[in-house]
Amino acid sequence: MPYTIFWWSRKADFELKPQPSLRRNFAAPGSGSDHIDTLAPAVELSAVGLQYDDGPDVLNGIDLTLRPGSFHFLTGPSGAGKTSLLSLLYLAQRPTRGSVTLFGTNTTSAPRAALPGIRRQVGVVFQDFRLLQHLSAFDNVALPLRVAGTAEAEIKNNVSELLSWVGLADDMDALPPVLSGGQQQRVAIARAVVNRPRLILADEPTGNVDDAIAERLMQLFMELNKLGASVIIATHNQLLVDRFGFPRLSLSDGQLNETQPGGGATADV
Amino acid sequence: MKHSRAGAPPQMFRTDLPLGGSASRFIPWLMAIMVFLVILAISGINVFDSILAGWSRSVTGTVTVQVPPLPASGNTSADRERAERALRALDGLAAVDTARLLEQEELDRLLEPWLGDAAGAADLPLPALIDITLADRSQDAVSEITTAVHTVVPDAIIDDHRRWFDRLIGLTEGFRVLAIGIATVIVAALALTVVYATRASLAEFRTTIDVLHFIGAQDGYIAGQFAKRTFDAALRGAAGGLLLGLAALAAIGWLAGNVESGFLPDVTLGISFWMSVPFVALAAALLAMMTAFFTVLATLRSML
Repeated sequence: MPYTIFWWSRKADFELKPQPSLRRNFAAPGSGSDHIDTLAPAVELSAVGLQYDDGPDVLNGIDLTLRPGSFHFLTGPSGAGKTSLLSLLYLAQRPTRGSVTLFGTNTTSAPRAALPGIRRQVGVVFQDFRLLQHLSAFDNVALPLRVAGTAEAEIKNNVSELLSWVGLADDMDALPPVLSGGQQQRVAIARAVVNRPRLILADEPTGNVDDAIAERLMQLFMELNKLGASVIIATHNQLLVDRFGFPRLSLSDGQLNETQPGGGATADV
Repeated sequence: MKHSRAGAPPQMFRTDLPLGGSASRFIPWLMAIMVFLVILAISGINVFDSILAGWSRSVTGTVTVQVPPLPASGNTSADRERAERALRALDGLAAVDTARLLEQEELDRLLEPWLGDAAGAADLPLPALIDITLADRSQDAVSEITTAVHTVVPDAIIDDHRRWFDRLIGLTEGFRVLAIGIATVIVAALALTVVYATRASLAEFRTTIDVLHFIGAQDGYIAGQFAKRTFDAALRGAAGGLLLGLAALAAIGWLAGNVESGFLPDVTLGISFWMSVPFVALAAALLAMMTAFFTVLATLRSML
């Protein structure tokens, strides 16, 4: 695939230098993953229901199929279940009913030992970043590579390049508490994408940053999407949704509806 | 701040968990106390072994013949003659290597720890003692001596020390088993405490563990992080406990050296003990590490 990631060189406000070797290091989504079906849909939810203890259904009968390379906004009022839906996708919990299939593997019935390999194909940007406060920006971003057993030399190259890419070349050794909200956001995003996941889940990734940074981060997600990753961004920001015009997954009363930019529903949902 | 990775620790020493969490802060102290107690318990075991070996060496292969004084006779020459008769009966026996009648001065010296300087002046009706070194250590040899002595002095008492020694062995074995039991309880307490400390750490570092979990870390990786961290803390504590234990042994040795000889057996801790002591500290740290590893592993398995 003819990937290009020189997008930042066209964005004067990002003030980043081109890193041609990123093309090499970030060659293909999911590269290096074993036993993952690269042609299968990124996400398949079948009659998924979720209930906490004896409470009401948070999610009810959700069917969803997302092809590789898709880009969706996930919207809905507070408490609609956006974070719960994302948590099912990054395998933080199992659904009460139905099945969650990622990259062709039914995670609901897969043995527990198979799940770390699938999780490595999913990059998550948490709403509260969840950076490890005692680790530098570099070590936070390096974490997914280290748990995957990547060689230190390779980690050094890739992480340095990626942090330079997101404009944090001079803050690699900084601990999260001394970084601004926007900088922490970028560290969290860099950590989510450093191992080239096939699915990127971002929970309100622009919730703590100003409009300019939000725009930049969206550009970053779009570039990663162009590289082949499927992206789901949960957001309350209606302006952002309108501005970028990607298909919208709307959660309400435990039900999911997909709306295309023109307003029409699709057959996926 | 310009980035430099030159100072980054090698991977085997790096931990993704912050060191010095509140739940694990007491592990070094705990380890120091445990290792200190285990060293004392092990030294106790070695002391009992040493005492047993010493007693065994001193009494095995010897027999004592007691020739009691004639009742209310006061006739020391008749008593002496009975003792010499018994001594002569031992002449030429194959079982006997040497046989010697103890002099009055030697008897007084034996009584001195109990009666002091007055032992010689007490004019007590003491039995005459014949100290025999056996040429043959079998029970047949004791029987042969008994027969020979009883032929000439029927009321003589033949003591091969076995009954006395068997009781001492029983007592000492009891102390030895107790010391082993104490060491085992300490080790079990250590393991259990590490389990609870690790569980507390798991709660403390829940966010970190969740992040590691969600980015695809294998259970072994996360457990390894805890294990590394626990080993580091435990080894520091164990080293402290080791020094404390050695200091205590030195103090006990010094105090024992000041006690009048004769009351305490001469005990030395062998080279194998001193060689094994550092391994006690290392083994305790490894035990803590393995306990932490498997505790985390078991806890993680309850997660998705």
